[in-house]
Amino acid sequence: MASTAFLEMTGVRKRYGGVTALDGADFAAEAGTVHAVLGPNGSGKSTLLKVLTGVVAPDEGEVRLNGRALRPRGPRDTAEAGISAVYQELSLIDDFSVLDNLVLGVEPRKRGVRDRAAARRLALPWLERFAEAFGGRVPVDERVADLDPGERQVVEVCKALVRQPRVLVLDEATASLRRRQVEVLFDVVRELRESGVLVLFITHRLAEILAVCDRATIMRNGSDIRTVTIAEVPERDLVELMVGELAAAESTESSATDEVRLDVDGLSAGRLHDATFQVRAGEVLGLGGLQGQGQSHLLSALFGALKPRAGTITLDGETVQSRSPKQAVRAKIAYVPGDRGSQGLALGRPILENFALPSAGRRAWLGIGLSRKRELAAARAVAERISTRYGSLDDPVSTLSGGNQQKIVVGKWFPTEPRVVLMDDPAKGIDVRAKAELFHVVRELAASGAAVLISASDDRELVELCDRVLVLFEGRIVDEVEGDRLTEETLVSSAMHITEADRAVATTATADTDPAAPEREDS
Amino acid sequence: MNTLTARAGTSVSNLTRARMPMVATTVLLIVTVTAAATLQGNFFTPYGMTANFATILPIATVAVAQTIIVLSGGIDLSIGTIVTLSSVVTVRLMDGGDPSQVPLALAAGLATGAACGLFNGLLVAVLRLQPIVATFATSFVFGGVALLVLSSPGGTVPAVLTGGYRQVFAYLVPVPALLLLVLWLAWRLLRAQRIGQYLYAVGGNAGASYASAVPVTWVRVFAYTAGGTVAALAGVALLANSGSGDPFIGNELTLGSIAALVIGGTRLRGGAGGAGGSILGAIILTLIQNLVFFAGVPTNARELVNGAIIIIAIALAGLLTARSERAGRSEGRTA
Repeated sequence: MASTAFLEMTGVRKRYGGVTALDGADFAAEAGTVHAVLGPNGSGKSTLLKVLTGVVAPDEGEVRLNGRALRPRGPRDTAEAGISAVYQELSLIDDFSVLDNLVLGVEPRKRGVRDRAAARRLALPWLERFAEAFGGRVPVDERVADLDPGERQVVEVCKALVRQPRVLVLDEATASLRRRQVEVLFDVVRELRESGVLVLFITHRLAEILAVCDRATIMRNGSDIRTVTIAEVPERDLVELMVGELAAAESTESSATDEVRLDVDGLSAGRLHDATFQVRAGEVLGLGGLQGQGQSHLLSALFGALKPRAGTITLDGETVQSRSPKQAVRAKIAYVPGDRGSQGLALGRPILENFALPSAGRRAWLGIGLSRKRELAAARAVAERISTRYGSLDDPVSTLSGGNQQKIVVGKWFPTEPRVVLMDDPAKGIDVRAKAELFHVVRELAASGAAVLISASDDRELVELCDRVLVLFEGRIVDEVEGDRLTEETLVSSAMHITEADRAVATTATADTDPAAPEREDS
Repeated sequence: MNTLTARAGTSVSNLTRARMPMVATTVLLIVTVTAAATLQGNFFTPYGMTANFATILPIATVAVAQTIIVLSGGIDLSIGTIVTLSSVVTVRLMDGGDPSQVPLALAAGLATGAACGLFNGLLVAVLRLQPIVATFATSFVFGGVALLVLSSPGGTVPAVLTGGYRQVFAYLVPVPALLLLVLWLAWRLLRAQRIGQYLYAVGGNAGASYASAVPVTWVRVFAYTAGGTVAALAGVALLANSGSGDPFIGNELTLGSIAALVIGGTRLRGGAGGAGGSILGAIILTLIQNLVFFAGVPTNARELVNGAIIIIAIALAGLLTARSERAGRSEGRTA
């Protein structure tokens, strides 16, 4: 009966050091369905799917695919069994062309030699299918390093599809995708379902689950809680199952004061053109709009990582010329990058060190001597403040779940008492609960008097968290939203600025004195 | 429309960026060849060509061997002693000058090189020792075994090899130059295989390769084994050039091979570059040494001048590569 399921995982256990990732999880799914795996960060859903794809070897447990036991010793074995995965951390070779990446590991051969023509025939249909997601082009020969994050994610999806899988695992695959890219992906997912493929789907976006999934298994604390049919469960119950006991979103109270902390005038850098705005102490200012409209460049320029072409930055009445991140840190500007793996954390180093890094200098005796006791005390205080769960402060950061890692990226700035905190999409790919906790941390930073600038790919986050939101389009600030106007609907329509040009003009005209009045570009 | 032109711009700069290291290497090659032809009167004569290519071939071969390893993300500090060990094994087996022993001796030399490489590969890929430390240690092992096989310089190499090595075809094409061409063709053939692509993949991002079902461990072992085998070929070339065996004959080639591949545009942390550039790098490196000699630099100052010029060459190659990479990264962020 139960053994008739297409994919079956029973009693899977996995421990990393002191943290139990999977505690006897069971899982079953049928071919020709789209099956969501839901749960808070650290609930073990990523680990469960990594056991399936052979990236992680379980301590215990069994996997059966189509009635046959699967004991993969690595991704090679699972690839042969017809399992393909799109990972959260990308599995692409930056220096390779898109084509070379798509066929990596499955290069067609003719007389022992790689057959590029056949590789092209294999890969092109998928790239063409996703052309719309690449902005209408088919980037076969472009280098992966030259693509933007969303496009790389699409390449990753194509790479999984080229392998013609029977089971396709999408682990947080939509997190960095734009709306249009997601739509194309979902069309393809529906086609795959028709042809009998099992699609396993990890996401934190409720709308996506409702749009494309047939069934869902909810995980918590390393084991499965319940498996439901999406159509039979009301939306509110789903949210409750996903989030657990914590309330979804608490409305936050503004801690903004009247004191202008950061004054930016005519700043141009990278993609950003002529940005003028002010942030007050204790205020949380959001940067909205479609992805890649200059939000990251604005934050990088403020942090001194990107050289401005023009404009002035004034911090507490003093002109700042941050030519390097080091100077910015000295001026008490903190930066939380979007890519926590490569920019925000030393993944292999202990949690303690990661906490201590930005502030070590100020606790050092005579500037050089570090006391372990003092470091520990400082780290514990922060860990408690942001309620991070960890095995030991000496464990590497990589043993923590994504949500907890991200809280450390934010929390490590606390002891420096920053005056300005810059955050580049900090909640990307973390679950509702961790997100709520992270936002709590952000509000605490603001309450302590910091001016917070935050970009987010999810408009709902901005509405929940921010006092005021600047909407960017093609590098320009095109709208400023606050108070009652601060809703998802306003943000979405403002972000589409150009396509709804007339409406945008009308709204900005009624909005009070926006120093950066929209300058329309003819498209 | 804006994005279209931007895209076109990106792909053009992509092209130049990919070619950047090659451009730097070619410029260096032209400069050194011109200087050599000016200073060395007999440069473009059969004698000059033979003499130059006879010295270039061994270092170029070791550079190719090292390139295979470095591309896969490793490094081999024992490669010079592998050259030595396989050459002394070869010379011991063909000592006496009987031409009929030559094939067996060559096969044994190649097998020795392959075995040394395999040993390195197992240490690095299976036992996961740090490549620098592991191969530093094995360099003493291989060097020590070489001393046991041939304790002092000696042994004669059959005339078939030494004579053949000095042949010149069509007035200006010496045999070592032809062998260099064969070496490059063999590299192109390797590059066209799956394994050739996997060297780059593993060196570029081992984790991503593993997740893409590339046999990472096997690729690493292969790289070291292939490198050891090619290094053994360099040992044979040295024998043919010098005419006798020497238990230290190749030891100095290790760092030369690394310098040559860097000048040739191969990235030391792996994943980018190629053996073609390394061959050019070896040519440049050898010509620089000759130049210092022919320019009449006093004997005691030669090492110093030689070193200074190599630093300039490496810096030039490195600067151009680094700049092109930086451009690539910042553009990637913008796009």
